[in-house]
Amino acid sequence: MIKIPSSVLRQVYDHMEASYPHECCGLLIGTAAGGQRVVHTFRKCRNLNTDRAHDRYDMDPKCWLDTEREFESGPWSIIGIYHSHPDHPSRASQTDTDAALGAGMLDYSYVIGSVQKGTVAGAQSWVLNEAERRFYEEPLVVDEGDQK
Amino acid sequence: MSVTVRIPSPLRPITGGLGELKVEGATVGEILRKLDAQYAGFAERVFDDKGVKRFINVYLNEDNIRDKKNLETEVKAGDTISILPSIAGGLTADYVSV
Repeated sequence: MIKIPSSVLRQVYDHMEASYPHECCGLLIGTAAGGQRVVHTFRKCRNLNTDRAHDRYDMDPKCWLDTEREFESGPWSIIGIYHSHPDHPSRASQTDTDAALGAGMLDYSYVIGSVQKGTVAGAQSWVLNEAERRFYEEPLVVDEGDQK
Repeated sequence: MSVTVRIPSPLRPITGGLGELKVEGATVGEILRKLDAQYAGFAERVFDDKGVKRFINVYLNEDNIRDKKNLETEVKAGDTISILPSIAGGLTADYVSV
């Protein structure tokens, strides 16, 4: 399960819509324990894929490096990744799966937003199962009480 | 010479939870091979038969070693090597998640 404050999710959606028709990506920051992740904030990252930005993303590695440094004193850390699927469903693709397996991204939430004609139509969150080499959906809970 | 190696959280189970290690060596490759000798499974996560895996990035200070001399990149005392996951993906016609 991943819980995201509505204000943070709205800003993530803004990033996805502003990037349309290209894919965007970023990092979710918060706490994780026992398979439950709680997002507190996020960081936008650059999509370095300029040739196929409409259907691919390659997150700027410096974004991960800089974000780890920013939060290394705790208590928050990188707990997930978000990216958009322009005019496609918010389901994890084979491309997403292959990349996550290659990077060993276990125990991270992958939030994918479906952006239809420039507007986010919805989002789902996925967690990688390494043994089965596929993503499974996890509940995405929007914390409406957060007004940060 | 001693350099600092930063381990990303996805690899920390291999290093017993340690996020930062001090290692002696002259090149990035030598240092990473030393880590494999110390931590079983490290090389499997970082290397394939062509070198550093496609979905792993290795930075020496602020530079990707792919833009330098890859594993032969020389280090100097006080440098920091950062191992980073390469986060990527995108659309395909086949959706495999359930």
